[in-house]
Amino acid sequence: MRIGAAVRVMALAGAAALVVMPAFTATSVVLNWGFLILLYTALAQSWNLLGGFGGQVNLGHAAFFGLGALTTRILWLHGMAVSAALLAGTAAAAAAGLVIGAPGLRLRGPYFAVGTLAVAEILRITVGNILPEVSSLPAARLAAYAITPRYYLALGLAACVTITARMLAHSRFGYGLAAMREDEEVAEAIGVSTFRYKLLAFIISSGFAGAAGGVFGYYHLSFYPQFAFNPVWTFDALLITFLGGVGTVWGPLAGAVFFLLLREVLALRLGELHLLIFGVLFILIVAALPGGFVEAWRSLPVMRRELVAEASNSVADSVRRRRRSP
Amino acid sequence: MILLQNAIFGLLIGGIYGLGAVGLSLVFGVLRMLNVSHGELIMLGGYASFWLFTLWRVDPFLSMLVAGPALFLIGGLLYRILFRHFIHFPEDQKIKNSILIGFGLALVLQTLAILAWGADERAVTPVYAGRVIPLGPVVIPLSRMGALLVAFLVLGGLHLFLTRTRRGTAIRATSQDEMAAALMGIPVNTVFLTAFALGSALAGVAGALVSVSDAISPAIGLSWTLKALIVIVLGGMGNIFGTFVSGLFLGVAESVSGFLFGNVYREVVGLVLFLLVLSLRPQGLFARS
Amino acid sequence: MLLQVEGLCKAFGGLRAVDDLSLVVSEGEILGLLGPNGSGKTTVFNLIAGALRADAGLVRLSGRDITRHPASIRTRLGIARTFQLVRPLPHLTALDNVLVAQLFGRGAGPLRPEARDASRRLLDLVGLGAKASVPGANLTLAERKRLEIARALATHPRVMLLDEPLGGLNATEVQTALALLRTIRADDVTLVIVEHNVPAVRSLCDRIIVLNSGRPIAEGKPDEALARPEVIEVYLGR
Repeated sequence: MRIGAAVRVMALAGAAALVVMPAFTATSVVLNWGFLILLYTALAQSWNLLGGFGGQVNLGHAAFFGLGALTTRILWLHGMAVSAALLAGTAAAAAAGLVIGAPGLRLRGPYFAVGTLAVAEILRITVGNILPEVSSLPAARLAAYAITPRYYLALGLAACVTITARMLAHSRFGYGLAAMREDEEVAEAIGVSTFRYKLLAFIISSGFAGAAGGVFGYYHLSFYPQFAFNPVWTFDALLITFLGGVGTVWGPLAGAVFFLLLREVLALRLGELHLLIFGVLFILIVAALPGGFVEAWRSLPVMRRELVAEASNSVADSVRRRRRSP
Repeated sequence: MILLQNAIFGLLIGGIYGLGAVGLSLVFGVLRMLNVSHGELIMLGGYASFWLFTLWRVDPFLSMLVAGPALFLIGGLLYRILFRHFIHFPEDQKIKNSILIGFGLALVLQTLAILAWGADERAVTPVYAGRVIPLGPVVIPLSRMGALLVAFLVLGGLHLFLTRTRRGTAIRATSQDEMAAALMGIPVNTVFLTAFALGSALAGVAGALVSVSDAISPAIGLSWTLKALIVIVLGGMGNIFGTFVSGLFLGVAESVSGFLFGNVYREVVGLVLFLLVLSLRPQGLFARS
Repeated sequence: MLLQVEGLCKAFGGLRAVDDLSLVVSEGEILGLLGPNGSGKTTVFNLIAGALRADAGLVRLSGRDITRHPASIRTRLGIARTFQLVRPLPHLTALDNVLVAQLFGRGAGPLRPEARDASRRLLDLVGLGAKASVPGANLTLAERKRLEIARALATHPRVMLLDEPLGGLNATEVQTALALLRTIRADDVTLVIVEHNVPAVRSLCDRIIVLNSGRPIAEGKPDEALARPEVIEVYLGR
């Protein structure tokens, strides 16, 4: 309980610091950093909603990120208010989630995972063919560019997704997803309409991925539209989620901080080699530490308690032994 | 006539598609694991052939004999180190874990290839590279014809191995019913190892054949994995000749539609077919239901 | 008539696992389903519970046709089942295993403290009160069997399908389990039981049906039905 209270205070202090940060820091480097951490948190958490809580591996997450980025960017550059454009991007991705999920989530075995991967590749190639030109901000937009509103947008989104995850984890819906993740047939047998739950989680997940993409589309000065559909967005989301702790509320945030710090440090020193380290880390976590950091942190008190118990047991044993010995 | 020529090109490349898919299909059929880094194994086979050719002018058709065994060993190691740990999980968990591990492995192998050999595209150019056999109004490229022939022979050999030898029979028995196979005294753990290594070896051979007609680069893995998956879904699981035929079918579909809609949509056509078949007939187009 | 099955058929490839089976289950009774291995008992459960789709035939609950309903809907209408090979949700605690069923079954309701309390009472009832916070994966076989029953009860079933609830239990555990099943029946839950333990079936069931090759070959009070020559022949061979 004491640890819980301390964590809560720390979380509140952290949240407050994130909110007031732009007022204190003059350098946009720090804000850019904060922006990226928040963006990746939102992206990873959006994957986690379906993949972590519901156990459905979506390998085409980049498709929804890309749809959100593209829709938002185009509408915004054509004069729509950024908030409206962002909503449209979110809606587009969520609608795609419905269209793809309705047939896709009925598939058994590996076919949902590879089907989503195929969808993402189709979109990536097609977008690359239709929109081969780089999308740059026009001069007027460039002159008005400021990082602070982008930062707040990312903060709002990350908060929104994390709160959704937290509410989910402690709700009836969350329990239904957990049962489905553990054993789909049993979940059905105790009354969970697994398909409806999967579909709903998929729509929410892809909607948030689209929102993250929209924030990215609003943030970036220039990028090839195809880039927003690159499988690397899927991979980063998975990597961050698994690093931090798949199926946990705070895992994506912890994972995003670690991922970006390590990427910055490693990419500077090691170049491409840092991807190798990430790949190996990912495999290690999937194979050996499925709970990621959050689970490791959570099991720390338990481990400490067990160590203490073991120690006192062995003390008691030795006392007993000493008594018995003449 | 150009259409016919395109269909022939497609047919010739299709043999390699079938060969690339059959290893993945074998591993999935026997272990119920989907190794999504299968395309990266094909990529490694391609590099083996490239280096043998560049360093010692070894013909790519001969390099197959090196790439196959080399990938057999690599596959065996990957199985021992990574995939073995969850072989006894429930099927759903097994599939999920293998996909995740394969996803990570794909990144690792791709990065290793970039570090070792750079990100450039590489090609093998034996003396007969550009030669063609004129056949009436169309031409047949010699090297691709050879690749198709070799793919056919390798798959025929695999078929004989699976049906006529003790080891092959053990593999088939295990893919039918692991428990029953174990009860009959088949060492299923060895079978799993063999099947995974054999699947990887087939990827290696396919990679060497790819190098005959296509460029090799560290990034080609994903598209080969997808091609293999498309072929498997079209042809149905666990039928070697079905896989071969659906490889040919994909090859023709790709090059004909590339001709009709523009070359940039080649890959899209296969993927769309894949999704169509998945949503209409998950057991495969050519499979008996 | 609570549960009614008419002309049910299910084939796997060439094998007719259930072949034109009809049976009725009355409110409040304990019906035993017996038969040699492979006689189709578990398939019958899967068809009634909705885990499998029937090739032909009807399943009715209180006269309502539920043949085309998915498993989750049938559970919400009052059919609960346990699995022969116990399947706890491995990473959820024993309490949460029961709680999910409480939240989604026939008594489905929002996540309130009362739901948790009710789940705790069910764990107490099956004697797992002390194991509430143990993950499903860490329970012993006997505990898992009891957890299955608690989970099925948490859906507030009208009829429970129990697939070998006594299998693998030792003599003491069997007695505890039988006492538990009688308690459940006293709470107006109808039971259909697949079980190989013949003495237990004799003492527990009001009526039994013996299946062979997916067809009923005998029906009646346990002692009578088990004494029929057809049944003896099936069990002992010619």
